[in-house]
Formats: sequence, C-alpha cells, structure tokens
Amino acid sequence: MTTTSGTVRAGTVIPGWELPAVSAEKMKTMALVLVDPNPIHFDLDAVRALGMGDKPVNQGPNNLAYVMNMLAAWTGGHEHLRGIRVRFQGNVLGGDHVVARGTVSALREDRGRTLADCDVELVVGERVVLAGTATTDVTHLVRD
Amino acid sequence: MTMTESELAAIVGRPIPGGTYTIEPYVDWLLNDVVGSPRNGTVAHPLFAYISVAVGKGVSWDEVFAICGATAADGPMFGEHETVLERPLQVGESFTVSGEFVSAERKRGKRTGVFDIVGFRLALTDAAGELAASTYNSIVFPRRDA
Repeated sequence: MTTTSGTVRAGTVIPGWELPAVSAEKMKTMALVLVDPNPIHFDLDAVRALGMGDKPVNQGPNNLAYVMNMLAAWTGGHEHLRGIRVRFQGNVLGGDHVVARGTVSALREDRGRTLADCDVELVVGERVVLAGTATTDVTHLVRD
Repeated sequence: MTMTESELAAIVGRPIPGGTYTIEPYVDWLLNDVVGSPRNGTVAHPLFAYISVAVGKGVSWDEVFAICGATAADGPMFGEHETVLERPLQVGESFTVSGEFVSAERKRGKRTGVFDIVGFRLALTDAAGELAASTYNSIVFPRRDA
C-alpha cells in the first residue's frame, strides 16, 4: 500500500449525510425526470386507495442518490465515485428524516490510484432502507 | 397466469431495445435540487447513470413487466441496483443505451411464497463509442398464483 496519510484506512467512518425531511413536492419533479408514472410518488388519493397510508413514497433512486451525496461530500465531489451496488430494503416516505452513513472496509491500489471500498446504508431512524457497497477514488485524500 | 420456469428462463439473453439519452443541463439542475446535492455544472450527478438507462432503455416499465409475465398491479419491487462508472458523466453528454436481460430465477420463501428475480444489464456508450458506465438492476416479481 502506498498510502502515506493516516486520514483514510479500513474502519474509517465516513461523515454522515442527512436530509431532515424528504420533500413530497420534489418527488413530483423526480417523477418527470424519471418518466415514472407510478402514482404512489405523487398522488395521495392513489396512495390511500392502495392502502399505503397517507404519505407519498420516495423514488428508490432518490434514496440511492443520498448515499452518493454522502460519498461526494466526503471525497470532495461526485467525480470520485467508481461504483455502487445496493439492495433496496424499504420505503422512504414524504417527511421522513433520512441519514446516509458508511464505513471504509478496505483500501486497494488500482492502476496507480487508491480506491476505498465502503459499506454504505441509508436509514430512517434505525430502520435500514437501502444497503450495499461502494467504491470511490480517495487518492487525493491519502497521498501528501 | 404465472409463467413457467422454462418461460422464465427464456427471458435471459433477450435484448432490450435501448435508445439514446442526453444529460440536459436543466435536468441536471432539477435532479441536484431534488436530491439535495450541490450542482457542479460540468460533472453530472452519478445518479444519471441510472436515469439514463431508465429513460433511454427503449421500453416502458409496463413493457418490462409484461416481458416478465407481470403487470404493475402484481406489485413488482426493485431488488438491487449496481452502477459502474468508467469515468465521470458530463453535463450535456449524450449516450447510447443498450443491454439485455441477464438473469431470471424462481425462488420460494416460507413467508413470501413464490417470487421471481429478473436481472438486466444496460450500458452507456459515449459519442466516441467508449463505454462510460454500466448498470445492473433486478426486479422482484411476487407470483401469488404459482
């Protein structure tokens, strides 16, 4: 390993990223961006008719984006992300407080770059709604 | 009528029509606003790998469900997603989207009953013909009448 800084190592906890309240209004914009006609994201009458309560369901890709945001805030930008694999485990509803968090599981070298493999998740309270792994380039964080 | 396991297996290898997708600057603005990310203006949010294939795959979700012998009313759910970025995606870039179904498996759970997991891969190729990103998605289909 050619890392020369102690700032990133296996076990490093990535600073969390949070959104105090998921916006129902922004789900409407996202429905257009995704060209997703599923009414559970914007039509409360449809949500109620389906027996899913009285709050819209956030689009799964939004939940994935929150984790990407955490990694970008930590590394200094989205350009450092190399890959991410997640399993969608639960719904996020309008108004939910979501927190993305992660831990470095390993550092490795790849074609002259230092990559951090990370375990990542998104939680509502302590309920995990998305979990997986991500790889990001941390060369600029570990070399003086 | 739930498709048989041999019908399910026949999905694997089926191409997805694909198409094109451009990361329009105003959509990059909107997406960053939606997900609470600072806008770079040059580097697009990496979620655009997912959005590009979701919008540019050339078939609607209802058509994907139909290929898998289901409808939206059956309650299909996202299973897994993977994005592999060969390089950062750029605002204003256009991509060709192409791919195929790569897996289809029937499972039986004690609590969940019978369900199928169907996976597909889609790639983003840039204007120079180089691979920019690839994605994998799986969808879980409950098979209540199986």
